[in-house]
Amino acid sequence: MHMLRRDKKEEEEGGGNPFHNLEKSVVLQETRLFNETPINPKKCGHILTKLLYLINQGESIGTTEATEAFFAMTKLFQAKDPVLRRLVYLGIKEMSKIANDVIIVTSSLMKDMTGKDDQFRGPAIRALCSITDNTMLQSIERYMKQAIVDKNHAVSSAALVSSLHLSKGSQDVIKRWVNEAQEAVSSDNIMVQYHALGLLYHIRKYDRLAVTKLVSKFSKHSLKSPYAYCLLIRIASKLMEEEGAGTDSPMFDFIENCLRHKSEIVIYEAAHAIVNLKNTTAKELSSAVPVLQLFCSSPKPTLRFAAIRTLNKVAMKHPSVVSSCNLELENLITDTNRSIATLAITTLLKTGSESSVDRLMKQISSFMNEISDEFKIVVVQAIQSLCLKFPRKHNVLMNFLSSMLRDEGGFDYKKAIVESVITIIEENPEAKEAGLGHLCEFIEDCEHTVLATKILHLLGREGPRTPTPSKYIRFIYNRVILENAAVRAAAVTALAKFGAHCEELLPSCSVLLERCLLDTDDEVRDRATFYVDVLKQKQKALNSAYILNGLQVSVVGLERALHNYTLEPSEAPFDLKTVPLDTQPVSEQKVREPGDSVSKATDKVVASTQDIYAERLAAVPEFSNLGSLFKSSSLPVELTESETEYMVQCVKHCFGRYMVFQFDCTNTLNDQVLENVTVHMDPAEGFDVMKYVQCPSLPYNKPGTTYTMVRLPEDPTQVTGTFSCTLKFIVKDCDPNTGEADDDGYEDEYVLEDVEVTVADHVQRVIKPNFGGAWEEIGPENELEDTFALSTVKSLEEAVKNIIQFMGMQPCERSDKVQEGKSSHSLFLSGVYRGGHDALVRAKLAMSDSGVTMQLTVRSTDPYVSEVLVTAIG
Amino acid sequence: MGFFDKLAKWLGLKKKDANVIVVGLDNSGKTTIINHLKPKETKSHDIVPTIGFTVEKFTSSALSITAFDMSGQGRYRNLWEHYYTECQGIIFVIDSSDKLRMVVAKEELDQLLNHPKITNRRIPVLFFANKMDVREAISSVKVSSLLQLEQIENMKNKPWHICASNALTGEGLMEGVEWISDQLRDIIDGGK
Repeated sequence: MHMLRRDKKEEEEGGGNPFHNLEKSVVLQETRLFNETPINPKKCGHILTKLLYLINQGESIGTTEATEAFFAMTKLFQAKDPVLRRLVYLGIKEMSKIANDVIIVTSSLMKDMTGKDDQFRGPAIRALCSITDNTMLQSIERYMKQAIVDKNHAVSSAALVSSLHLSKGSQDVIKRWVNEAQEAVSSDNIMVQYHALGLLYHIRKYDRLAVTKLVSKFSKHSLKSPYAYCLLIRIASKLMEEEGAGTDSPMFDFIENCLRHKSEIVIYEAAHAIVNLKNTTAKELSSAVPVLQLFCSSPKPTLRFAAIRTLNKVAMKHPSVVSSCNLELENLITDTNRSIATLAITTLLKTGSESSVDRLMKQISSFMNEISDEFKIVVVQAIQSLCLKFPRKHNVLMNFLSSMLRDEGGFDYKKAIVESVITIIEENPEAKEAGLGHLCEFIEDCEHTVLATKILHLLGREGPRTPTPSKYIRFIYNRVILENAAVRAAAVTALAKFGAHCEELLPSCSVLLERCLLDTDDEVRDRATFYVDVLKQKQKALNSAYILNGLQVSVVGLERALHNYTLEPSEAPFDLKTVPLDTQPVSEQKVREPGDSVSKATDKVVASTQDIYAERLAAVPEFSNLGSLFKSSSLPVELTESETEYMVQCVKHCFGRYMVFQFDCTNTLNDQVLENVTVHMDPAEGFDVMKYVQCPSLPYNKPGTTYTMVRLPEDPTQVTGTFSCTLKFIVKDCDPNTGEADDDGYEDEYVLEDVEVTVADHVQRVIKPNFGGAWEEIGPENELEDTFALSTVKSLEEAVKNIIQFMGMQPCERSDKVQEGKSSHSLFLSGVYRGGHDALVRAKLAMSDSGVTMQLTVRSTDPYVSEVLVTAIG
Repeated sequence: MGFFDKLAKWLGLKKKDANVIVVGLDNSGKTTIINHLKPKETKSHDIVPTIGFTVEKFTSSALSITAFDMSGQGRYRNLWEHYYTECQGIIFVIDSSDKLRMVVAKEELDQLLNHPKITNRRIPVLFFANKMDVREAISSVKVSSLLQLEQIENMKNKPWHICASNALTGEGLMEGVEWISDQLRDIIDGGK
């Protein structure tokens, strides 16, 4: 009693949270009280609550201490007090993962689960499942089966949900409970029915046919539970996505029928599913959108919110469909719930016409201060897409964004704005100067280092090419004076870029850089020293190699190469040419989806697929002396039809003088095992097959890999060819169930489609930020020029796409985008040819009556490379 | 403890509580014995091997007894010790028809008695030589000599008693329970 009173006193002193000042060791000490007899339920309950609180606060408890506390807790099973017992269940669940020998409570829980006291039975089942592992499952199986079909809904639900959790570890045992689950689906309790359907689906989810049957069965025989309906809709839409089914599928009919269900939650789920189907067209949406429209005027805020949020998403892809709801949306702008209002406005921005932009922007700014950062980001994204849609409005929108930049806000919000501004600048050249100006102002007072460095990098890249580069210098140099080391370093780099790019600014940039030579930070000083020296040389080639163009090798590859170098020290200096080049993601310069820029928050260095391939190839001893991997073809090529007996995909790996073909094979016959699998290649002229690396065994449905190594022709201009391929192997019959193969087999072969080696396989994409400089730098020494008439292509866009694909090179200066309405275009491509030769391509395209005419100019550091590249088109 | 509880106790109306631990090898009949002792309405019909332990309550003429029915399977035997501290009595059940494993039972008993939490305490130990109805069962005297109960050093400070029992019919159980509850009452009253 005394202790309780003292606790109370502390409670008052501590303010709101009585558990505020808990000590882990003290609480663990107190758990010894559980061992006393007779048990004091009130006191023990209080201590157990404290323990639970600590665990939930993330306090970590050592195994020994946890086990001790756990066993003390097991003694509380003596007490009949219902509150204490339920706390014990919670305690068991929380500690099941940290204490040892938790199995000790199995029988006690089984007793409660089969006992008469209904309020113990459900929780006991849930606790029991948390302590049960696969080996113990057998012994409780019978009780679980009984509990699933129990008359008491709480018990049945608990058993169903627990089975679902157990199925993560032991799918096989749970599969045997399918009859009980089936029986539970026909329960008249909505929760039991929902949980039972969930379990049934999980048992069958790897068997597509069974899932299809499940959906068609329950879509006919009407379910009582709206939750079960929602689940069924989700299953159906997932199934449609996997099958790529269209609107003619019975699944779609079912979902559409659900739009007329009497429960709102089901109607919404169905509409949501239709909207989110992969290839929805306006036609399918026409059934879902009116439902959402109706919800928009519902008195329930949750419904309004759900509807407007979904409409907002639809509006990104199909603004025209949503525009029919404009009237409802206008009403929602003044909704008392700010979240709804924001979504309404941003949706309107997407569906509205150019003329309504000004009015809506005014509306938004009236309550911008009242909404949370999360919704502000939604607004930013809406503005970004609007700006891309109506480039002429960039003035209004840009001003709005810059005023948002000045307002208070968290990092994510500021980041979203900065990224939007950058995207707008990149997409719309007219907005560039205004945008850069706004960003300059922003970094004058920016507390986020990441954003400041990002903007400085952008300034360094874009600033020198504006009409008046000098006006940015002041902003950049201010950073050198005022900011932390990371920002200073970025500013120094940006300054050097101005100096390297603009002759007239070189003297002043040099002076500014020299002032940084005495910086307190090593990195800043190093950078400044380096740049000052490079700029002093006044050589274009040096400038573009060391200042304007960044590091072009893959960071992961560089790390590995340097590591190897330090392991085996040699006299020779480290050669950067041996490091694999960074693969430029193909989508790099594509228009980013508005949602994308925010989700791509992870700026970590990720190993590219090529790095992964390189590691796998290095593990094959036969390929150890080939040198470093130059390029792997990005997407595997299918060499078989899908759904055939054997499926084979090919990836081409290009080394200095060899090419390795990687064949990923899958055996889809469950009564066969293939052994000694190779792909026999009939080489094109000049190529020699050097080695086959076979896949020793290929059991059913387990992918295996075999390699074929080919030496490239001596003649450097002969690089392309077609190889006919045959899969050769020894077949052994086997038992489909056990996978045991017969002892003897027979040889067999299987004809695959041809593999094509193209010029693109020998070229790695590398971006040159300053194409003009690089062009001059290589010089006209190995220049080749030719004119082609591309009669098969119909438009400039198509021509550009094809050329990039044939060459396998990286478009520079955003030249892959053809401005609308123009009849001529220049495409700039850059890359590195096998062997480390830089190669640049300039293609001048002109539209004529008979198709597209192209003048192709190639410059490279090697005469043969130019020749190969010119012949790539044709 | 409420006022009425205290009053009832003072008047001697309410029975005193005692904790016992029920141990023994697997399949010796621990759960069956406890099940037979339980009040009618809480009896269960099928007895399955215990995993871990269960807590049961039953009454003798003088005491209300809380029994910790431990699992006898080999891999759970090392968990018995967690319940030694608060037990006031031990019921050790032996399958008297299982001569082969009598040595195992002896070994477990020695370990139990040598445990620091048990060894120096004066705890009554009741042995049930269970399954006396089985044909090849041996007598309680034979069991006690096989277990060398007379010779064990650590048994010297503990009162003990062995009786033959048949947990299915309940034969012999009451005799043992009355003995242990007498012993327990002495200890509880003596401790006051």
